[in-house]
Amino acid sequence: MLTDFVPLFLMMALALGLALSLLKLHQLLGPKRPNLIKTAAYESGMDPIGTARERYSVKFYLVAMIFIVFDVEVVFLYPWAVSFRDFLAADAGLGVMMVVSFFILVLGIGLLYDIKKGGLEFE
Amino acid sequence: MEITLNWYLSLSAVLFVIGVLGVLMRRNAIVILMSVELMLNAVNLTLVALSQAMGDVAGQILVFFVMAVAAAEAAIGLAIIIALFRKKVTVDVNEFHLFKY
Amino acid sequence: MVAQLLFFLLAIVAIAAALGMLIARNPVNSALWLVLNLFCIAGLYLTLNAQFIGIIQILVYAGAIMVLFLFVIMLLNLAELPRREDIDWKRGAAFILGMGVLAQLVYIVAMSFDVLPHPPAAQEAVATGSAQVLARALFTEYALPFEVIGLLLLVATIGAVMLAKRRFV
Repeated sequence: MLTDFVPLFLMMALALGLALSLLKLHQLLGPKRPNLIKTAAYESGMDPIGTARERYSVKFYLVAMIFIVFDVEVVFLYPWAVSFRDFLAADAGLGVMMVVSFFILVLGIGLLYDIKKGGLEFE
Repeated sequence: MEITLNWYLSLSAVLFVIGVLGVLMRRNAIVILMSVELMLNAVNLTLVALSQAMGDVAGQILVFFVMAVAAAEAAIGLAIIIALFRKKVTVDVNEFHLFKY
Repeated sequence: MVAQLLFFLLAIVAIAAALGMLIARNPVNSALWLVLNLFCIAGLYLTLNAQFIGIIQILVYAGAIMVLFLFVIMLLNLAELPRREDIDWKRGAAFILGMGVLAQLVYIVAMSFDVLPHPPAAQEAVATGSAQVLARALFTEYALPFEVIGLLLLVATIGAVMLAKRRFV
């Protein structure tokens, strides 16, 4: 029932409230005497050069994309993992195992392709 | 007042229409893709609400498949946007008139 | 009482976040509004006793898909591009069309008030949301669509690598 989730919602609200209030409180309570050097970006004692918003390499996109595919794969495998014993008890363990194995095999081909094409190499 | 199925369906209708407006009115191709995700989510909400109301698990299975399709769509759609950006250095859909350059 | 409050809170925040996504100028802000919206929808799934779907929603959508969107926004460095007003208010036709769709949908929902099934007893509802129940249907009755989804993900991997893996940056 919904009441089972009340602690979860409370915890979410608490976490959100804590994060927001800590972000805001230090602005309200802390002393502020800014000057030019204090407000400059921290660059290990050097003068900062250029913008902080450099373009990211396309490598990041490739890694994130491969992550998504395997994230979805794990999401699909999770229900199988938690009810593996139920399937065994219902004498359907082998059939379901073959279904899942084929699924993993298909996605394994994708992984092999990525490795072959160098999608996972990070120079 | 009880929260019935109609409330969920109405909420998902509103979210879906905001997604439609995003697709039709924004110029940024990435925001258009995000609006498509919003529309998919609105439909997912409908599916889950109906699945619960009818006591049938099929709707939730469908949500699984929609999420996998959304992940694939985001991966390919963003790859296409990156490819277009290399040609034109913009993501403004008004600048994309042709399939071929 | 808690259920009603929770529904209205989540619904209002979800709609506000969706509108925020629609009108935010910076695509990064749009993406963050959409993340808030996805969290609210995950909460609504919990109110519908679909625990597993709710967690998956946060894991896949908020955790993976939106990260990909933010990566691409940063990759293309869109904040640095010359930016005009991104939303096209001149497209009044689009707005009217959208409102037309909304009117249709609301009309259908309102008309079907009596036809819609009433929520079943709580006990039955609990039984539909857990991972075990989903697994029973997913790997037996829906085994073929499951394999097709595997093929779709394979195609997505190959396509994205092919599209993105040319000399760039």
